[in-house]
Amino acid sequence: MSRVEIRDVSKRYGSVVALNQVSLSLADGEFFGLLGPSGSGKTTLLRSIAGFVEPEAGQILIDGADVSRISTHRRDLGMVFQHYALFPHMSVFDNVAFPLSVRHSGKAEIKKRVEEILELVQLGGYGQRRPRQLSGGQQQRVALARALVSNPRVLLLDEPLGALDKNLRQQMQVELRQIQREVGITTVFVTHDQEEALTLSDRIAIFREGVVVQAGKPGEVYERPRTAFAAAFLGATNFIPGRVADRRGSAGTVVLEDGQTIHTLDPLPSEGMAVTVTVRPEKFSLHVGGRPTPDEDEAVNCLAAEIVQPIYMGASITYRVKAGEIELTLFHQNRESRIEPPGSRVWLSWAPKHSILLEAPGGDLL
Amino acid sequence: MSRARRKWASHGLTAPAYLWLAVTVILPLAVMLYFSFLSKMPFGKAEPTLSIKQYALFFERDFYSFLTWRSIKLGLYVTFFCVLIGYPAALILAKSVRGRWREAVLLLVVLPFWSNALIRIFAWTMVLRTNGIVDQAIQAVLPGAPSIGILYSYPAIVVGLVHSFVPYMILTCYISLQAIDDALIEAGRVMGASGLTIFRRIILPLSLPGLLVGVVLIFVPVVGAFMEPRILGGRQSIMLGTVIEDQFTEVFNWPLGAALSFILLAIVMLIFAVSYPFLRNRLRLA
Amino acid sequence: MTRRLGYAYLAALLVFIYLPIAVMMAMGFNESSNYQLPFRFSLIWFDQLSDNEILWRAGRNSVLLALANTVVATVIGTMAALALARYRLRSHAVLQLLLFPPMAVPWLILATSMLIFFYYAGIGRGLHAMLLAHVALSLPYVIIVVGARLYSFGPDLEEAAATMGATPVQTFFRVTLPVIAPGVAAAALFAFGISFDQFVTSYFLSPPGVTTLPVEIYASIRKGFTPEINAISTIIIIVSMVLLLLVSRFYRFGGTQ
Repeated sequence: MSRVEIRDVSKRYGSVVALNQVSLSLADGEFFGLLGPSGSGKTTLLRSIAGFVEPEAGQILIDGADVSRISTHRRDLGMVFQHYALFPHMSVFDNVAFPLSVRHSGKAEIKKRVEEILELVQLGGYGQRRPRQLSGGQQQRVALARALVSNPRVLLLDEPLGALDKNLRQQMQVELRQIQREVGITTVFVTHDQEEALTLSDRIAIFREGVVVQAGKPGEVYERPRTAFAAAFLGATNFIPGRVADRRGSAGTVVLEDGQTIHTLDPLPSEGMAVTVTVRPEKFSLHVGGRPTPDEDEAVNCLAAEIVQPIYMGASITYRVKAGEIELTLFHQNRESRIEPPGSRVWLSWAPKHSILLEAPGGDLL
Repeated sequence: MSRARRKWASHGLTAPAYLWLAVTVILPLAVMLYFSFLSKMPFGKAEPTLSIKQYALFFERDFYSFLTWRSIKLGLYVTFFCVLIGYPAALILAKSVRGRWREAVLLLVVLPFWSNALIRIFAWTMVLRTNGIVDQAIQAVLPGAPSIGILYSYPAIVVGLVHSFVPYMILTCYISLQAIDDALIEAGRVMGASGLTIFRRIILPLSLPGLLVGVVLIFVPVVGAFMEPRILGGRQSIMLGTVIEDQFTEVFNWPLGAALSFILLAIVMLIFAVSYPFLRNRLRLA
Repeated sequence: MTRRLGYAYLAALLVFIYLPIAVMMAMGFNESSNYQLPFRFSLIWFDQLSDNEILWRAGRNSVLLALANTVVATVIGTMAALALARYRLRSHAVLQLLLFPPMAVPWLILATSMLIFFYYAGIGRGLHAMLLAHVALSLPYVIIVVGARLYSFGPDLEEAAATMGATPVQTFFRVTLPVIAPGVAAAALFAFGISFDQFVTSYFLSPPGVTTLPVEIYASIRKGFTPEINAISTIIIIVSMVLLLLVSRFYRFGGTQ
């Protein structure tokens, strides 16, 4: 049985549809990321699980029981807010002890448990400090400790790392995941940062305008996006429009505007249909000089292109190129320590398995 | 909390406030409205009838319109001087004074404002009396200097009211002036604007809401003032406010007092209606 | 240079503001009974105060009234502010509208209308009537002050408490109340000040024999001045100013937190 189940949950605010029949299922101990732009419904769903939002339709089940009728304070949850919501008038110890003290636990037990959890988040000895004396990262850890101290069934995280600067955020991401694994608690995590979602989650769900566009393991969703939105949201990507030329065989052929052809392993619709193929920028190889000659049985995609603009990123170089009329972006690992100047004629190559066919041809772009 | 629970909790929490305001403000105003349509006081043998006699009186007798205009003029004078004195003070406080001093001076300005208005007016009688101690002091230092004994005159009323209300103006103007980002002024300078231009085109327009709030907050009470004119005005004391006061404490003509009050209220509402579009953002309750 | 001018202007303004008050207070300590110079320090007028039965009674009334007003207005106002800030209902617009009259309508009109209404409602005049009036006048200010504090904290803290298992009652007493305490304290002091200094409504609602300090002072001024008035006024001014200083500890003017 899944730990948390969302069944056909819908919510609207006036004429705005925040959630449209959303269904998800979370396994025990899973770290599940809700990803999407602002207003996409991910936060609304999180707050529905917490009980701050009452959906019009659908059910939310925790451990098999519907919690829709149960008030927030009896749902046995832990939640970390974007700005931590630490009680300013209490010490760190009292903050962390709060969930236990409202359940009337004994003093000795509280002390033991609070100290335990503070050790877990590496804040042992900080009990007597006040929130305002702590740095952002420390406050975040107190918020986490407070959410976990009562051993809740589900942990909810509402953009918890949003207020931290980049370096700190990356460090906290690692720590957060470690703690979650150690404790083994089912976690729902909201973010608009796709990198973060990919890094931390066991599975992610991409939200758009109240609907789950795609859900699955990060690898799956990243490598095989189903829609242009999902492809573009999870990272840079390229869109190559064309028509189906030949759908027989294992590697179908798509012909582009300027006559060049590319191959894909995805099943193609009937010939003549307009399709859009998407290729991730890191899947290209850059060839200066002549057209690359592939190994024998390998069908490889090749496109002639001209460099429009190189962008030096240190560890890699991002090239904006133009293949005929199509603009493409490619990430080139900086092995040679040289930058190809604008105007150079190059060849792009990539394996057909990295040509991904999108479900909605072209139309459904960001 | 579910929506139904939330509604009940909210109603429960606001009920006492509603009740209190209904009993002390809404109902009394409604009753007074009724009273303003009575032909005479409902005591004694004859039962009063409903009539617009009191309001008609206002329009028939020149005296009342003269009075209303006199009160409005007082409001205009006082407001004008408050703007003249208060706005520059707020500007200096907001833009020139820095740090601890700023709060300290602001506090000093506002401090007397929260003490008893009656006492402050009384204090002015000390200062403005002919041969009062200020006069005596001045005579001692500069014999033959003109007396500042203007007590029991129209200017005395204006001075007293300006003194009472200028902190309002300073406070409201200060609030909107200090909200103006210094970066805007710096940008203006970089783009070549002189100090005067910056004031005219950046500072003044952005501080206008605060100024308007101050104007409204001052004009309304002044038009209905009675205590200050009585104490400082002597024979010049007669205003719409004092006449209304008389109806309730001396003459016992409540219907007339009620009608005059509502006319005063109408004037006030008019002012609000005209300025509401500008005020909407400023006055935010909870 | 202009900076110096600015400071000079402010200094002159402060002189204008404090001159009458200083003069009045000085006269309370001057021996002369009709405000003549030269100045001779004396506490005689303060002495005479202690024998003035009427003023003492009025003073006691003022204080009791102000205390009662503080309690009632703060409690009712805080409750309303909580509802307005945390539960967004459309009907709240009505309450917000109702809060305008005590601030916007000239107090003269409010006082006289209460006079009429209380007469017919059987409430009559007296300290209880004044309490009704004072609370009505204080409510908008209490709600604004507490509301501002609630606003600045947002519902985050209370939501967090709920996720941690606190019932609404627990949340209110252990989280909300401590956090808004400074705002409530400031509002309470405001309420005390408003009632203690209130003249207009007390004037119209006071029957013979039951008055507050401001009303007595007004009567004395109408009759003719004696420095006793200066003495009592000095005391009142100092009390009010101390109150305001206390408020400024809890609540920043000028919108800066």
